[in-house]
Amino acid sequence: MKTLLAWLLWLWISLVIVGAFYYAPLAQGFIGQSSRILFFHVPMAWVSFVAFIAAGIWSLLYLFRGRRPGHDTAAAVAIQLGLVFGILATVTGSLWAKIMWGAYWNWDPRQTSILIALLFYGAYLALRTAMEDWETRARLSAAYSVLGLVVAPFLFFILPRLTFSLHPESVINAQGKVEMESRMLQVLLAGSAGFTALFFWIHNLQCRLQALWERKSAP
Amino acid sequence: MEGGGIEWIVAVNLVIWTGLFLYLLRLGKRLREMEKER
Repeated sequence: MKTLLAWLLWLWISLVIVGAFYYAPLAQGFIGQSSRILFFHVPMAWVSFVAFIAAGIWSLLYLFRGRRPGHDTAAAVAIQLGLVFGILATVTGSLWAKIMWGAYWNWDPRQTSILIALLFYGAYLALRTAMEDWETRARLSAAYSVLGLVVAPFLFFILPRLTFSLHPESVINAQGKVEMESRMLQVLLAGSAGFTALFFWIHNLQCRLQALWERKSAP
Repeated sequence: MEGGGIEWIVAVNLVIWTGLFLYLLRLGKRLREMEKER
């Protein structure tokens, strides 16, 4: 059953890749084929956000639901993966920026806010490695990650909208409406769903791997 | 970009994705085996 689900995910993301290039039309106002980066760039940023929020929820569970080591591990793994997806969003965004705005980095509000988010969660990993005592590390990093439940939505959704941005209008615009060509929207939503599922799959594998490693290294 | 260029990009994307997928599938299988052993 699990293998079948995995193969369905393979098919789903493969269709998203093909759909991004052959089904979705080019967006108006973009140079050449560059608008197709949208179908990878936005889902990467979305998954990064989901990972950081999930980490905050697992940290809350750790703090208020019996201090289970599994919740601490789940939060840490989510942040590691969130950073990977965040870096992918930044790289794909930079490639797009080079085509559209002439430079890889422009200190655009969205670029700046994702950089701050990456630094914030990079500091989480530094915090974890700085403490040797397991319980202190888990407790403090959980508190830091819970703080991320406020920081991440602010950096991903609020800060970029406060000032002028070179970025195109958000998927959900200022009027709260989605004004995107329907085929583009279908591929974008399918991509976001597929990459979110991929995140939870990798998260599950990494948590199990870590649990095995910890059991093996325990005296 | 020429049509051939797009086909090439799609092929590379699919190869990378399939490679990652097969790696994850194999990792999951190996993990299940190790969890049974313990």
